[in-house]
Amino acid sequence: MKNRIKVFRAMHDLTQEALANELGVTRQTILAIEKGKYDPSLDLAFKIARYFGVTIEDVFSP
Amino acid sequence: MKRTTFYILAGIVGLLEVGAFWLSVELHGPLLIILAFIAGIMLLYLARRKIHDLKEDERAVLINEKAAVRTFQVFWVVFFAISLGDVVLGLGAPGFPRQPRPPNEGLVPLGHIGIVQLLLLFLMIILYVGFRFYYARQYGEWETDEEQD
Repeated sequence: MKNRIKVFRAMHDLTQEALANELGVTRQTILAIEKGKYDPSLDLAFKIARYFGVTIEDVFSP
Repeated sequence: MKRTTFYILAGIVGLLEVGAFWLSVELHGPLLIILAFIAGIMLLYLARRKIHDLKEDERAVLINEKAAVRTFQVFWVVFFAISLGDVVLGLGAPGFPRQPRPPNEGLVPLGHIGIVQLLLLFLMIILYVGFRFYYARQYGEWETDEEQD
C-alpha cells in the first residue's frame, strides 16, 4: 500500500520519532509503514490521518 | 525497571533454575524443580510488566503472532511424528529384528520421555527465534533511512 506519510511529516516538520511518540508506536513502525513494508491496522491508519487533519484516502492509496 | 535490569534478573533466575535442577537430581525430588521453574517464570512475567522502556506496538504483536503460529504449525507435525515413533517402540511393533526387551522394563522409562520432551521444546525455541527473525525482517525491523541514529 502506498502512502504519503513522509510528505505529511515534512509539511508538519516532524521526525519519525516524534510522530511515533504521538501515535504510541515505535519509530521502526513508522519507518516500516513509510517504506511499504508494513500495512497499518485501520485503527492506526485513522490515527495517522486524524493527526495530520486529513482523510485516510489522502494518506493511503492502494 | 529498565530492560537491562530485566535481562540481568532473567540471567540470575536462569542460574537459580540450574541450581534447583541440580539439587532436585541430588535429592531425587522432581517437585523441587517443577515448583522452582513455575516460580521463576511467574517472577519473570511479573518483572516484565514493570519494564518502562519496552514499547510493544501492533507491528511487534503481529510479528510475535506470526512467528508463534508458524512455530506451532511446524512443531505439531514434528511432535506427532516423534510421538508415533515412540508409540511404535513402546508397543514393540513386529517386523524389525531387534533384541527382546527385558520383561520388567515396562513401556518406556519416564526419564527418557522427559529428555525427548526437552529436546522438542528446544526445537520449538529455535524455530520460534528463527521465525521471529524472519518476520521481523519482513516487516522492516532493520530497515534504515536518513533519520537512522
